[in-house]
Amino acid sequence: MDELLSINGLSVAAGGVTLFSGLDLKLGSGEMVAVCGPSGSGKTSMLRAVAGLSDPVEGTVLLRGRTPGETGWPLYRRSVLFMDQRPVLIQGTVRDNLSLPFAYAVNSEMEFPEDEAAVLLETFGVSSARMDQDARSLSQGQQQRVCLVRAFLIRPEVLLLDEPTSALDQDATSSVETTLVEETRKRGLSALVVTHDKAQAERLCDRILNLSDYGASGEGR
Amino acid sequence: MVIDLSAFDLAISAALILVSAGISIALGLKMEKRLAYASIRTVVQLLLVGFVLHRVFAINTVLALLPVVLFMLVTAAHTASGRPAYRFRGMGLLSFSVMTVTSLVVTITATGLIIGVEPWFRPSYLIPLLGMVLGNTMNGVSLATDHFLESVKERNHEIEMELALGATRWEAARRPVAEAVRRGMIPIVNSMMVVGVVSLPGMMTGQILAGSDPVVAVKYQIMIMFMIAAGASLGAMGMVLLSYRKLFNNRHQLLKDLLSRRKG
Repeated sequence: MDELLSINGLSVAAGGVTLFSGLDLKLGSGEMVAVCGPSGSGKTSMLRAVAGLSDPVEGTVLLRGRTPGETGWPLYRRSVLFMDQRPVLIQGTVRDNLSLPFAYAVNSEMEFPEDEAAVLLETFGVSSARMDQDARSLSQGQQQRVCLVRAFLIRPEVLLLDEPTSALDQDATSSVETTLVEETRKRGLSALVVTHDKAQAERLCDRILNLSDYGASGEGR
Repeated sequence: MVIDLSAFDLAISAALILVSAGISIALGLKMEKRLAYASIRTVVQLLLVGFVLHRVFAINTVLALLPVVLFMLVTAAHTASGRPAYRFRGMGLLSFSVMTVTSLVVTITATGLIIGVEPWFRPSYLIPLLGMVLGNTMNGVSLATDHFLESVKERNHEIEMELALGATRWEAARRPVAEAVRRGMIPIVNSMMVVGVVSLPGMMTGQILAGSDPVVAVKYQIMIMFMIAAGASLGAMGMVLLSYRKLFNNRHQLLKDLLSRRKG
């Protein structure tokens, strides 16, 4: 398996307190890794640091051997795409939200694939007839699915998913999980999936990374 | 020639205030103390300003002007950076720099280039004009900054979502930036819309009372409106853009922890 993302000696702190340190992880192409750990162990902070939305205390993250600075931060982030635990949508219709990233300079070579968007919405269980509906009037669960569709549409290489099904009820969790894994595998994407649910981690991913093994003591596994 | 006012004339105008105070007492509005305090402050502040301006106008040098201008700039910057609900370190200095550059550029353009007064710093022109520009710039800057910082803080999830999807810092921030600048310009645009229709502006009224031809007064007022519009919009844009540069680094990250809520 080709090495796609390489996390080297990552240490992350919040409010001056080190959450974990010395984290090394190699993520291969098409590989899905679950990130587990008790609450407060720094799971979300880790994803944010990998996405470059905040700086780690120490360590580097390389995409195909290049730093985000060498890749260009916007291109890096589009390739290593972080998705918040809560669905975050702008004011506007579902279409406005799905086409939003296609207005960015980094995506200027792509056009908003309207047909693919409609198919993906249906795949994730949102009727494509809702395309012109106010996105914020959808239920939390449906908003989360719209966010997942938006993520797939801009063709990332790595998905950083923070509790991707936390806004969903039990039935919806299972159907979204299945679609999520299928789409990720079909497109050959890699993923780091934060979850507090060990069973979900085992269902979704190839292997599990336990963040508590890298606790503030600074000792690795 | 202006008709001077004697102390007795001022006492008559004060008597009008006493009538208001009397009504307040009769109706139990409890406004009389505040009214008295505000009236005393008005007299003291204006007498003090009159005394200082009298001296500065008489000396007529840049050195005499400097402390007055500095005092006006510091007070305006302090007020503008003290109003927004959120703040960040160094905001006062940023506000001072923006207000200084925009208001001085606009005012000196007016005295030196447009009016062509000799010397360009003649205090009897520069101080009143600077005061008008600064007052409006201060409002524009504080409104725009308040709106920008509040939307960055309250919509930080939206901004970070856009950054995560590959937006540059400018692409992620341009909506709050544009809204904030628009917000800062609303008062001056509104007053430009109704100037002369609802009420005659203070400067124009002053010139007419001082015996100027109304056409000359109108021309001065047009210039003033353009100056204060330029000051308020350049100030709002400058402050919002510099705040944006402070809150977004060159790694296209939003530094939301730099923002803190003002106490009280």
